[in-house]
Amino acid sequence: MILRIDGKQIEAKKWDTILSAAKRNGISIPSLCHHDALENVGACRLCVVEVKTSSNGERKLVTACEYKVAPHIEVFTHSEAVRRSRQTTLDLLLARAPENKLLLDLSRENGVESTSYSTSPDANECILCYLCTRACEKMGCNAISAVGRGQGKSIQPPFLTVPDACVGCGSCAAICPTGFIEMIDMPSKRVIWGKEFERAKCESCGAPLIPVAYREWAIANRELPEDYYLQCQECKRKELASKFSGLGVS
Amino acid sequence: MEKTLVVIPSKCTGCGTCKLACSMVKGKGEIIARSRIHIHTTGPDSHVQTTCLQCVEAACMKACDTGALVRNVETGAIEVNADRCIGCGLCEIACPFGHMHFNLQTGKSEKCDLCGGDPACARFCPHGALEYK
Amino acid sequence: MRIRTASDLSQWAEHVRKREANISIQIKVCGGAGCRAAGAEVLRDALIQAAGEQQRKIEIDFDKCLESDANTFIGMTGCQGLCQAGPLITMNGELLVGVRPKDAADVIRAASGEISMPARLYYRSNPGGTPLKQKSEIPFYAHQELLALKHCGELLPQSLASYVHLGGFTALFNAFQKSPEEVIDIVDASGLRGRGGGGFPTGRKWRSCVDASKAGDNECYIVCNGDEGDPGAFMDCALMEGNPFVVLEGMIIGAYAIGASQGYIYVRNEYPVAVSRLRKAIVMCREAGLLGDNIFDSDFSFNIELVRGGGAFVCGESSALMRSIEGKIGEPTSKYIRSTEQGLFGLPTVLNNVETFACVPFILSESGSRFSKFGTEQSKGTKAFCLAGCVKHTGLVEVPMGTTLRDVIFTIGGGIQNDRPFKAVQTGGPSGGCLPAEKLDLPVDFDELTQVGSMMGSGGMIVMDDRSCMVDVARYFTRFLLGESCGKCVPCREGLYQLHTLLNGISKGIATKRTLDDIELLACEMKKSALCGLGKSAPNPILSALNNFRDEFEEHVNLKRCRAGVCAGLTTFVIDETKCTGCLRCKSGCPVDAISGSANQTHVIDEQRCIRCGACRQVCPDDAVQVAK
Repeated sequence: MILRIDGKQIEAKKWDTILSAAKRNGISIPSLCHHDALENVGACRLCVVEVKTSSNGERKLVTACEYKVAPHIEVFTHSEAVRRSRQTTLDLLLARAPENKLLLDLSRENGVESTSYSTSPDANECILCYLCTRACEKMGCNAISAVGRGQGKSIQPPFLTVPDACVGCGSCAAICPTGFIEMIDMPSKRVIWGKEFERAKCESCGAPLIPVAYREWAIANRELPEDYYLQCQECKRKELASKFSGLGVS
Repeated sequence: MEKTLVVIPSKCTGCGTCKLACSMVKGKGEIIARSRIHIHTTGPDSHVQTTCLQCVEAACMKACDTGALVRNVETGAIEVNADRCIGCGLCEIACPFGHMHFNLQTGKSEKCDLCGGDPACARFCPHGALEYK
Repeated sequence: MRIRTASDLSQWAEHVRKREANISIQIKVCGGAGCRAAGAEVLRDALIQAAGEQQRKIEIDFDKCLESDANTFIGMTGCQGLCQAGPLITMNGELLVGVRPKDAADVIRAASGEISMPARLYYRSNPGGTPLKQKSEIPFYAHQELLALKHCGELLPQSLASYVHLGGFTALFNAFQKSPEEVIDIVDASGLRGRGGGGFPTGRKWRSCVDASKAGDNECYIVCNGDEGDPGAFMDCALMEGNPFVVLEGMIIGAYAIGASQGYIYVRNEYPVAVSRLRKAIVMCREAGLLGDNIFDSDFSFNIELVRGGGAFVCGESSALMRSIEGKIGEPTSKYIRSTEQGLFGLPTVLNNVETFACVPFILSESGSRFSKFGTEQSKGTKAFCLAGCVKHTGLVEVPMGTTLRDVIFTIGGGIQNDRPFKAVQTGGPSGGCLPAEKLDLPVDFDELTQVGSMMGSGGMIVMDDRSCMVDVARYFTRFLLGESCGKCVPCREGLYQLHTLLNGISKGIATKRTLDDIELLACEMKKSALCGLGKSAPNPILSALNNFRDEFEEHVNLKRCRAGVCAGLTTFVIDETKCTGCLRCKSGCPVDAISGSANQTHVIDEQRCIRCGACRQVCPDDAVQVAK
């Protein structure tokens, strides 16, 4: 179907959202909580765009990540209303995490230098984008979740204790856009969410690998035989090299 | 038929130009160790380059549950769609040949994508030890 | 007994009518929340005891009472309306007010005709007025029009026989004589709009659900929203407690119309009485064959499951409510696709409010055509309101749409307590707004209220006198919402925090001239960009207060003065020498001993010690405690 974004005619698929259609056509819309592999939640409100439907010509703000494209709609990604809304959102987020680099960069791109609001005393760098909880859900573990409500909401394991369901995959830490989730990798163990995981060791050289619990989880949940998870990168490459040695061609 | 990246260990001198080229193209040359092609010294004057084999039945793809690993139908390369990668790191450990790289800074996996059809390693190898044909 | 036909219903009703004639004394104690708080349960026990002492044959279970030779029935009903004068009793058609346990023996004696009823137990408009025995004589009741609340306070909520006796389930039978499309047509034609606040036409909602479920060849669900959480609103509570059957009947009719076989009724767990009565009502309906398989021996089967809420205000929002029923976190989701297309468990769902469903049986009854005779052009029927705050007659009222605020507050509500000046009325709870005296002649309907920046909401109506500070009111609602925001989207979560901080600044006297503009800007942005209805309407109390009472806000900011004497940082209380009679009440009421003076001498407030709580002002009978200019 054809729709107009910022005056430009673009082709979109019927399952497209405004965000995915825009992205494919090189139109950039800022977002914090959207991830292509995860279900959209519409929490950050940064990807708001104005949509004008042909039915009544009214322009309304919608989140580009959730709004499905429809024929003949007109989308404005950088109108005055959109700009003001994004600035307010970033201003509010900065009040929560005034020092965060990602937010500062994003804010400056959108014309906000620093927050005009007061910082709350218990603010932290978690911007509650839900990427971690959704990544955890995607992995099938559901070890963490949003707890509480309003300003005091935070991402926590159940009952604020060490999470039983966590296998130490580290996806939450990897996906966290502000670097708030802390994961410590030591030679013998990985620590995340207050839980310590013993790390598996490379069969050949003893180098630390992923946590034992994660390996067991992977064996149970992915269609790969057990021996796929036994060696470190370096040893696997060496083994491959030694097989190649003398063969000449790959 | 799609082209293949051919390694000719007999011609390799272990000079490391391929690694430099790879890290220049893929990571602004900051960290050569993060090159997606590796050189192994297997004996005196004997070197073997290894990189992703773009396996037909790829373990990395089986390990990935988010659809972040997709095969490029034109080049035959398995590519990482960073927008879909959630950083679980399973592909890295699953690759039997050690050619999936998990970038701790970005929280995403990286791998050889044959530079979209013009692999820099082959282009810059001064000894003809890498061919793309 | 299983009900199969209309004659089963009428025979049962006739049976109840005959047996009921044998009960010479029927005492119905109001079991509404207000009366229970005023001691209605103790009163009922006292009445039972007194009746026992007077050798009456008592039965407290209405169903058993009908089948026994008891001549006295003492039971509890739902809310009887006039909460202010509770505990209320309806005895053989007469209304008794302010009945205390010590009056129990007299009441029973009067009921048996031994003595005449003590006049103090009858309602009077003013202290010296004539005692009024019938509801129809009392202005509070006389100006109301009860459709949804029709049998509330009269019916025994734990007895299906009582409901059938009052004509219950005849509407359901009527509906079954028609095709589902015809039922939707009737509801559509009645002009019924959703009573939960949004005011979406009910018939249209049902039809779009039918269309969506037919198009996708899917099942559909019907859900009743009983998660009433607005401060000062208790209509749904009163309905579920007072007449659970009418809600169920409305749901069954709705289910028949849209072809749903499963319904859910979501009740907040803070209403334990409503939960237990609904549960019992569901069981009774199932036993009577009015729920379950082959209702009225037709092919239609329908079940209702009761789901208790977990204490989150936001779960009253439809998408959050559905997530909660699904067992997920009760957080709203975007509604770019209507729930009539993708609702509960991703299937087409009709979600209506308790009061909406309670209106449906009336619309499908014989006199259903009367429904659209009430109301305005765009808002038909009646609407229940909860009158609360500084009004003389607080309580539960139902009036035709389009009745003016003045009529509700002054004619029915009896005006402002202590005849103080009216200042504002807050409608629609935390999503609504405050309207000033100039808007008193506004006819109350969905569109009129929205136009002036307030909202019908679920029907809370909080009346305020000149001792309410509008900054404080805005701050109160913002704090309420701050605590209830689910925290999912940034504008609501962070915006409410900032709005609350800015309002705190105003009431502390540290705000600057820019503060009001900042508040307005942020509030307007929140309205546009928040995810759900709660966030979008959260700035309404502030914006409407700012629009209608801007001078008061400016006074706080510029003159550092709170005229109502509420904002502690901006208030100094003084005692007016000309009014003070030296009664000592303020002195003994002061929690910090800041008031000096002995009996019959003018009292003086020590400004240093005073914490500006206003307790002295509350207790002063002569209005001598005043806010220093």
